[in-house]
Amino acid sequence: MTVRRRLWPIVARREFVERARDRGFQVSTAITLLLLTGVIVISAVFNRPTSFDLVVVGEGSGALGREVRAAADALGVEVIVREMADEAEARRAVDAGETDAALVDAALIVVRAEPPDQLVGLIQAVSVRERSRRALITAGLTPEEVDTALVQAPLPIDALEPVDARSRETATVVFVGVLLLYGQLFAYGYWVAAGVVEEKSSRVVEVLLATVRPSHLLRGKILGIGLLGLGQLLLIGLVGLFASAAVGTLEFPSGAVATIGLVLMWFVLGFFFYASLFAVAGSIVTRQEDLQTTMTPLTILILGSFFIGLSATSNPDSTLAAVASLLPFSSPLVMPTRIALGEAATWEVVASITISVGATAAVIPIATTIYSRALLRPGRVRIRQVLRARPA
Amino acid sequence: MTAAPSTTDALELAGLMRRFGEVVALDDVSFRVAAGEMVGFVGPNGAGKTTAMRIVLGVLQADAGRVRWRGRDLDAETRRRFGYLPEERGLYPKMRVLDQLVYLARLHGLEREDARSQADRMIGLLGLADRARDRAESLSLGNQQRVQLAAALVHRPEVLVLDEPFSGLDPVGVDVLSEILRRQADDGAPVVFSSHQLELVERLCESVVMIDRGRIVASGRIADLRARDTRRLVRVEVAGAPDGWLDRVPGVRVIEPLTEGAIVELDGASESDVLDAARTAGSVRHFSVVRPSLSEIFRREVAR
Repeated sequence: MTVRRRLWPIVARREFVERARDRGFQVSTAITLLLLTGVIVISAVFNRPTSFDLVVVGEGSGALGREVRAAADALGVEVIVREMADEAEARRAVDAGETDAALVDAALIVVRAEPPDQLVGLIQAVSVRERSRRALITAGLTPEEVDTALVQAPLPIDALEPVDARSRETATVVFVGVLLLYGQLFAYGYWVAAGVVEEKSSRVVEVLLATVRPSHLLRGKILGIGLLGLGQLLLIGLVGLFASAAVGTLEFPSGAVATIGLVLMWFVLGFFFYASLFAVAGSIVTRQEDLQTTMTPLTILILGSFFIGLSATSNPDSTLAAVASLLPFSSPLVMPTRIALGEAATWEVVASITISVGATAAVIPIATTIYSRALLRPGRVRIRQVLRARPA
Repeated sequence: MTAAPSTTDALELAGLMRRFGEVVALDDVSFRVAAGEMVGFVGPNGAGKTTAMRIVLGVLQADAGRVRWRGRDLDAETRRRFGYLPEERGLYPKMRVLDQLVYLARLHGLEREDARSQADRMIGLLGLADRARDRAESLSLGNQQRVQLAAALVHRPEVLVLDEPFSGLDPVGVDVLSEILRRQADDGAPVVFSSHQLELVERLCESVVMIDRGRIVASGRIADLRARDTRRLVRVEVAGAPDGWLDRVPGVRVIEPLTEGAIVELDGASESDVLDAARTAGSVRHFSVVRPSLSEIFRREVAR
């Protein structure tokens, strides 16, 4: 005896398993993860804190070198000081690029070609201070009096537009997030459409319809594919987090986690909306070749939203971004940025989510109706004609 | 039929109506298929066979009329225990054979373990064991057809509705499928299938339903239909006869032309009149008085 049970979970499971098993999917996921890890590692290499190598040789140089290192520490710059026996050896090291500069007899700075400004500036400043100190002592002041006169706190800086390291990092993470959201919404939406066409063109749909209702078939398909998309996004987010943590690029991991959470949430909000429309685009054609045509309006919608989303990462408070973050088709690509960068007011977030959920709730039954009625019709189906017709 | 099935133990189509725009696809279609009975559903192309079968499976809705199984109107839950082979065959091209069958069995309500063992069983039964892990698209058309049949049978259906199940099968495949359908019927399932191969229907089925332009034109036990057909038929084959010689024999109507002769209905002429005319026309290879076959009955019903 058979058991009465819901069929859409079985449909969803097939969609998830069959696609996860697909070699193309596995390869593209691996490539995405490799690229992401590569970008994180490379950017870590380029953003490593400034470090210089300084060779000191001759009388007085060692002491001056130590002073330079101390001054550099205060500025957050690393200077590695090495002593060498004679000037010829030091010059060879500079010439071979083994060191950034050589300090000879505390009186001469040897560089290869272009002087490294920051290092040379530091040496000059320390050297001027040390020579002033000696001159003042020679003039009769006690060393204590000299130190009191010379050692002074650096001037405070009043930045009119301060750069917040945290928000800069968030902007980077959210930029990657928008990029991923665009890719996921488009790729997984396309999969829904192509899956619908596959069932139509292979005619397996009639076998399915003899046992599953069209609405359950659609629900299972969207949920299965959406779950896979969410899972892949989560995997990418986690790998990105761990890679960044491993190479030490993330100064504010909690901010990155929050941003990833936002991206995942808006993927869910955007996916159900777009997937329903992609299913319609798939259901009104019978051949994969015709799918491009019916998908074009959706492609334009997603691409346009993506560009607004990109501009919002640098201009989150623009009117365009504010409006686009409320519209159901563009909010998934714009709102996460505005939230992450702290530009969205609470009412805007609430309104955006409400509109998005409401629009999706409105689109799903219409999409289901068109899908159900178009499934067994051959060739190119006109939406208006299907909506006017009575059930199959 | 060994045991008389109870009156309610049957699949019943009652007064089905369906239009597509101006076209009347089904016009008051009614017939029943008793449990354990195998019924052939025959008719010319476009007569409404596929439409009727789709309505039974709920793929299409009827404008009027009802379909009952065991005296109750069909619902989705009941239909899930039906086995259906659609006219337009379809499998997931990229899905492995075994996975497809397990999936379809699950959709028909089988638990995972049961679905798996049933799929294995069908694969063995249809000689597909070495292709179980292949993708459907890599199979030959004949083997795809076998997978399709397995898909219709994998969930131990209570009722079988098959649209042209024999088309595309080689003679061995025809025998295998005949045997499977026979067994399903013997196990108590009503089996209805459409076919253009009337000899096959005559061999396999006890009963037949004939449809033409959306209307049932004849139905019942094949033996009864034949007994009711009182036409006197003669099969005559003559070598070296001039073209159209039979047309010149008075009181004779050609029912079915053959390569070297025809099956004719005697309408005024006697058997010996035909034999005499045949002798005159050429060298007689065959002469026999025949009972009307399903083909002849079909031709007459459809010609009306």
